[in-house]
Amino acid sequence: MSQQYSSVSGMQHEEPLLFEHAHEAPESISLPGVQADAPSSLDAFKRKKAANIPGLSEPETVRHFVRLSQWNHGIETGFYPLGSCTMKYNPRVNEQIARLPGLAHVHPDQPEDSVQGILGLLHELQGWLAEIAGFKDVTLQPAAGAHGELAGLMMIRKCLDARGEENRKKVLVPDSAHGTNPASAALCGMYTVEIKSGADGRIDLEELKKHLDGDVAALMMTNPNTAGTFETDIKEICQLVHDAGGLVYGDGANLNALVGVARPGDMGLDCLHINVHKTFSTPHGGGGPGAGPVAVNDTLKPFLPVPRIVENAGVYAIETEDEQSIGTILSTLGQTGVYMRANAYISAFGKQHIHKIAQDAVLNANYVLSRLKDKYHVPFEGLCKHECLLTDEWQNKHGVKTLDIAKRLIDLGFHPMTVYFPLIVHGAMLIEPTETESKDTLDAFCDAMLEIAAQCEAGDTQALHDAPLKPIRRRLDETQAARKPVLVWSE
Amino acid sequence: MRYLPHTQNDRQTMLDSMGMQDMSALFADVPSEFYLKEGEIGLPDALSEAGIVKKFINAAEKNRNAINTRCFLGGGTYYHFVPAVVDYVISRGEFLTAYTPYQPEIAQGTLQALFEYQTMIARLTGMEVSNASMYEAATATAEAALMARRVTRKTRTVIAGSVNPRYRAVTQNYLSRLEGDYVEVDMGILGTDLSKVIAEIDDTTASVIVQYPDFYGSVYDLVPLREACDAHKCLMVVAFSDVSAFGLIEAPGAYGADIAVGSGQALGIPMAFGGPHLGVFACKQKYLRQMPGRVCGLTKDADGKRGFVLTLSTREQHIRREKATSNICTNQGLMCTAAATYMALMGDEGLKTVANHSAAALDLLISKLPSHVVAASGAHYNETVLTFESGKKRDAFIAEARKQDIFAGIPLEKFDKTIEAKHLLVATTEMIEEDDVNALIAAMEVAS
Repeated sequence: MSQQYSSVSGMQHEEPLLFEHAHEAPESISLPGVQADAPSSLDAFKRKKAANIPGLSEPETVRHFVRLSQWNHGIETGFYPLGSCTMKYNPRVNEQIARLPGLAHVHPDQPEDSVQGILGLLHELQGWLAEIAGFKDVTLQPAAGAHGELAGLMMIRKCLDARGEENRKKVLVPDSAHGTNPASAALCGMYTVEIKSGADGRIDLEELKKHLDGDVAALMMTNPNTAGTFETDIKEICQLVHDAGGLVYGDGANLNALVGVARPGDMGLDCLHINVHKTFSTPHGGGGPGAGPVAVNDTLKPFLPVPRIVENAGVYAIETEDEQSIGTILSTLGQTGVYMRANAYISAFGKQHIHKIAQDAVLNANYVLSRLKDKYHVPFEGLCKHECLLTDEWQNKHGVKTLDIAKRLIDLGFHPMTVYFPLIVHGAMLIEPTETESKDTLDAFCDAMLEIAAQCEAGDTQALHDAPLKPIRRRLDETQAARKPVLVWSE
Repeated sequence: MRYLPHTQNDRQTMLDSMGMQDMSALFADVPSEFYLKEGEIGLPDALSEAGIVKKFINAAEKNRNAINTRCFLGGGTYYHFVPAVVDYVISRGEFLTAYTPYQPEIAQGTLQALFEYQTMIARLTGMEVSNASMYEAATATAEAALMARRVTRKTRTVIAGSVNPRYRAVTQNYLSRLEGDYVEVDMGILGTDLSKVIAEIDDTTASVIVQYPDFYGSVYDLVPLREACDAHKCLMVVAFSDVSAFGLIEAPGAYGADIAVGSGQALGIPMAFGGPHLGVFACKQKYLRQMPGRVCGLTKDADGKRGFVLTLSTREQHIRREKATSNICTNQGLMCTAAATYMALMGDEGLKTVANHSAAALDLLISKLPSHVVAASGAHYNETVLTFESGKKRDAFIAEARKQDIFAGIPLEKFDKTIEAKHLLVATTEMIEEDDVNALIAAMEVAS
């Protein structure tokens, strides 16, 4: 075997950590400004030891991060059917417009008359989100979905307090809910009670009624739920909760199933957070930034957070105070750069096309379901919405688990679906294709899933247990990582 | 519609394969009373791509920005230089369009970048460990207060009046629905005397939160605070608004901070009218398991090769639900990649130069002030408060500066309306040149 001269072999590269690029830092980047040292008044406070941040030259920095990027799978690289995450194509023009200097290099405390353009775009988006979701008003302040949940629950809390019902502290959460729901309720000083889903995966009205008493503050629900099915009794559910004196919080993570087709606000919900990094196509960035605006009806509108953008005769202003408001939950108006992209995205669809988002998303999910349902166990029969839920029950008989299927998909060229969520079924596989995938891609994915099912039936399962074999790394030892956590590099 | 690949034929073929007539069959489970009529939703007409570009260019031109003005605004957001490489790296589709790295085998790029970010943030703040981001500085401060309650099992929170009023407001809001005292210590305007803060610490105190450099830009000694925290077994939380300071001055870790939180926006992230920014969160290793948010850890794969995974997820909402250390899920992942790229480009020397130039610009500004404008005394990094003889004189200056396309500073009462309207919070960075300072001073002279 010949000697290894480089970390690259056959254009497959290993890339060391920044800290392992073992040479002296080159001359650093040229920087503008007042070319002088800090004043002597700071001498007494100077760092005694350098931080030890390794400087690389510009070409080395670019190569380092470009190589790292190539170890990643993104929606631009391929299919990404992560259920509950809405991994759709992120239009490139949205990246272009968000970088305009008049939007990207604007300080949040500039005088209002110098930011009328951006305030106008934000105010316009507020109105569009309210219209699409079917509510009266929207706050843009929450920085992500979970932050929106917190804002929504704070508004509910304040509304109940205003009614003199401080004692209502029980938040009902279906057992299929996202983990953020109970965590957000706890932050609000409320406690959660889990409601067991019915045999069809939906909220069971009889079960719900058992919990509706004078302690109920709210029901937090996701519709379509995390099993991908529509809560057909939505109107009755909202009515029951309202009759019991509670409010209904909508987790809008699954709004992609309904956008332009039907509106949660029309169904009786009191508020809904919207994950613009899902439904409105702002890039996920490997874990954010997102944004979690909350839409509210008349009941909760008085309690919206400040600051908020208001319009008066074509002039936009920022209101910072309001007696009834829950106050402020972020140091600025919100993740404005994310909202520029969302505004551009909705602009591209307009009233003519917006419903096609939900239509094609639901079409694609049902198509995948129809192609896979004979070979994978479907826990809840019937139509699905924008995502479909399967389990590994039939593959278990051959010693194969959801995790094996997921890892095998990687070798076959697909990002796995969401696994082991929702928690209400054993070995869940939640597949959300989104509307931006072609029939060819869906067919290729289904073919791969069917090949895996066939391998299980044939008892030819070694490749599944060994998977993945092809990416830069094979299965990683998560137990070791958690037992002896190493979160920073030390030489 | 250009973002949708299906042709009408594709749609019909797929519907046919499922025995469905048309699209409405897909929504048979939604009660028909809720159907919207196609095309009747209250949105404008669809725009072409060219139309979108035109719309946003027109809107952007209605704004002034830091490039076509001279920007002395700070207060938590700073106009630092963003190298082209940073924006290029985070524009790479593999970073930009990936989800949270739940499948580590095909997300090693994001994960290694996060690990490098955590390492460099720990080093820059002088702390032992860092998470992989909070939303921004105010929520990070609130999360620090919550974390201290979990670590100490105590409920009193003491926060200095010299902490950015927005961080205080958010922290108070987060704590207001939970049991326990929340005490804001009035230190007077520009006060850096920690003795009043220390006097509020007792044995029931979970944390004391100070800002360093403080909201008014003051740099001061935190050693007495550490001693008081030790005496009462409470956690010392140090917040900051501009992490670039620690390229030059001692970091929170050097003073023995238990938790350091603040804004990482200075690390290659544009101001973007308030977001997305980056919330930095770092702490001592022994408190790791109470830390909120995602963390990336080192491990090995099945072949023994080094790799990275998200770890300690048993602290998080998707496992622990109502007992989680935080409700945070989506965070500012891409901003970590931006900050890691920025720090790699800068290195110790570059970071030090940024800090030197930022501080030197403020020093130059102060040295040129006319006699009727007074800068706060004491050591300052890149931000200070200018006090005018009257509110009227200050406002005349602000107006004159605007005429010259200068954003002169932020009136302090914008943050706290109880403050008399004659102060101006002024910040500088390495983007401020000598002629920017001269223009500001000239406006001051004209207005007087």
